[in-house]
Amino acid sequence: MTTSASIRLGRPGARAGSASTAVSLRGVSKSIDGRAVLSEVSVELPRGSFVSVMGANGAGKSTLLRVMSTLTGATEGEVRIFGESRGAAVRAKIGMVAHETMLYDELTALENVTLFARLHGVPGAASRARLMLEQLGVGAVAHAAVRSMSRGVAQRVALARALVHGPELLLADEVFAGLDVGSRELVEGVLTEAWGKGCTIVTCGHDVEQSLRLSERVLVLERGRLVMDEWAHRLTAGSLRERLGGRA
Amino acid sequence: MGGTRRIAVAGYWVLSLAALAGAAWLAAYYAPVDADMGVIQKVFYFHLPAALCMFGACGLVFVAGVGYLWQREGWWDDLSHASARVAVLLSSVVLLTGMIWGKQAWGTWWTWSPRLTFSLVLWLLYVAYLVLRASIGSEQKRAVVCAVYGIVAFLDVPLVYLSTKLMPDIHPESIELERPMWVTLGAWMAAVTLLSAGLVAARYRVARLERAHEEWALRTGMGGPA
Amino acid sequence: MSAVRVVMLLAGKDLRIEARGRQTLGLVVVLGILIEVVLALGLGQASSGLRATAILWVTYLFGGVLCFEKTMAVERQHGAMAGLLLAPVDRGLIYLGKLCANLALLGALAAVVTPVGIVFFGFDLSAAPGAFAAVIGLSLVGYAAVGTLFSAVTSASRLQGGLLAMVVFPLSLPLVITSTQVLAGVMDRGEALDMSGLGVIAVFDVIFLTASWSVFELVVEP
Ligand SMILES: Nc1ncnc2c1ncn2[C@@H]1O[C@H](COP(=O)(O)OP(=O)(O)O)[C@@H](O)[C@H]1O
Ligand SMILES: [Mg+2]
Repeated sequence: MTTSASIRLGRPGARAGSASTAVSLRGVSKSIDGRAVLSEVSVELPRGSFVSVMGANGAGKSTLLRVMSTLTGATEGEVRIFGESRGAAVRAKIGMVAHETMLYDELTALENVTLFARLHGVPGAASRARLMLEQLGVGAVAHAAVRSMSRGVAQRVALARALVHGPELLLADEVFAGLDVGSRELVEGVLTEAWGKGCTIVTCGHDVEQSLRLSERVLVLERGRLVMDEWAHRLTAGSLRERLGGRA
Repeated sequence: MGGTRRIAVAGYWVLSLAALAGAAWLAAYYAPVDADMGVIQKVFYFHLPAALCMFGACGLVFVAGVGYLWQREGWWDDLSHASARVAVLLSSVVLLTGMIWGKQAWGTWWTWSPRLTFSLVLWLLYVAYLVLRASIGSEQKRAVVCAVYGIVAFLDVPLVYLSTKLMPDIHPESIELERPMWVTLGAWMAAVTLLSAGLVAARYRVARLERAHEEWALRTGMGGPA
Repeated sequence: MSAVRVVMLLAGKDLRIEARGRQTLGLVVVLGILIEVVLALGLGQASSGLRATAILWVTYLFGGVLCFEKTMAVERQHGAMAGLLLAPVDRGLIYLGKLCANLALLGALAAVVTPVGIVFFGFDLSAAPGAFAAVIGLSLVGYAAVGTLFSAVTSASRLQGGLLAMVVFPLSLPLVITSTQVLAGVMDRGEALDMSGLGVIAVFDVIFLTASWSVFELVVEP
């Protein structure tokens, strides 16, 4: 982590868009029913970045991740994910965990994950799905219906679903919410491992220490504006907390 | 609204109402009374132009829907709404005048004749548009849904027509018009077209103003989040 | 993955969910029978081809709307539709998968409600069972095409139930009018099957399948 950070000197995001760019947003604004949710956000995330997006509730973190996922379009500005604006080829490279688990209650964990593996054309979908569930420590409930699962378990199944096709960009929206200490460490391990394999990761959450520990770069949103974009190693928990708490 | 614009709008309405008055005078005093239908035949002068303008309004809803999906600009949605309101108004006229005609011709207010059924289904189609509109809170979602519905409903119109053609028609009408009748019909056509276009434009203008006001309220923080 | 396999995968998923819960089909079939009972109490046994078709349409229409709402509610419950939209498949295929699932449910509904109607009302379909099946089958495709599209619309906008019926019924009236007229001709007047009527239904199907398939992506976008 220190090596990768030391290569990229200067301000984060100074690099121009290129083949090695995973996410490139230029002047992205998003308004929902006339209300600005994101305002002129510009950011470049090179491949292999691990980025935490922080900000108060309603700051626009989830919306930013949805824009990056191409699920929702920007009202203004340019969105490029691996050089393309949208389409099946881009979606094939994206994995996403949102607030909602995107799982079917009546199906088992394994069926849910296998379905998405099949949709992504993963060879040996069922065994790959089982492997992912085991990695996330929910192999034991692979045959239980999602309906019967607690929030924390369902959340890990959702993460298995997002990772089953080996995405190049993982968008994880408050993935640690509702997890106990053990699962939290497990999920941290899984994210770090995916990152180690070259996956670009964008998470958002509220835990300052965890964000600084896991990620190499921190973005702070305030009412839809990007007010801070800084390397994690240059920040301390105190300074970041102050930045977050200093909201009017 | 500038002074010239105000005068133009007022002039338009004066012209439209004058055309309506003229058309009414022609229908009352110039056009002869029909041998079979009597005075009731005269609703026909209102019925046919209203039907034609209704198709125009439905077409405008369709065009506005396509335009919105293509450009995603709010004014297309306002146009769609304005046209749909006028389409409902006109189809109500068509339906009522059709019923009055039917009462005279067949002695009952309602028969499941192809024409009446067609008018009724069209009325339902566009009333459903207005209800659908009223029940969607999010502005963007509403615009998309109404655009799609407006397109689909317009595609439905010829199918409704073809399906009602299959229904048994007890009194196939063939209307023989004399020259004064044609003249009267032409006058009504002009008056109804002017009025319909004016109503669409007026509703559209009101919607634009409302939208501008909402945007202003949002910008100044009066409707937005704390 | 081939388009057909994607559609089958998605439709199979919906039917599996339905098989687990067995909520929709039970509800819809019982509702259909109840509607028939109420109508039979008022109309008695004397019936024509015109009446038979119209009565069956009432059950198909109401049952169908419930099917469309239920199969789409599954996608809304935990935001699963977003997951499908993120899959690297043509989004028109998501529509087709849902349509196939809805058609399967509608078919199952018709398979129960139609014989019950024959018993309750003394319908005589023996004159032309093939024509009946063809006309109703083709009509249900068009009905499901419209219903599936607008169930996505209404569920994406979190609209209350009942609204879907109000949107879909008027749009589907050409199907009802055509099929009742065509079948009345076949069964009451002993005419040959009116191919122009069948043509209207086929054109309806083609237009609404094409239109829905092409705008589906626009309306589900969250
Ligand atoms: N679908 C939507 N409809 C209306 N408002 C929305 C929608 N999605 C987000 N918002 C608004 O956008 C703002 C940012 O939301 P979000 O991105 O969820 O923030 P965060 O994830 O940082 O808490 C909030 O004020 C929220 O109310
Ligand atoms: Mg959020």
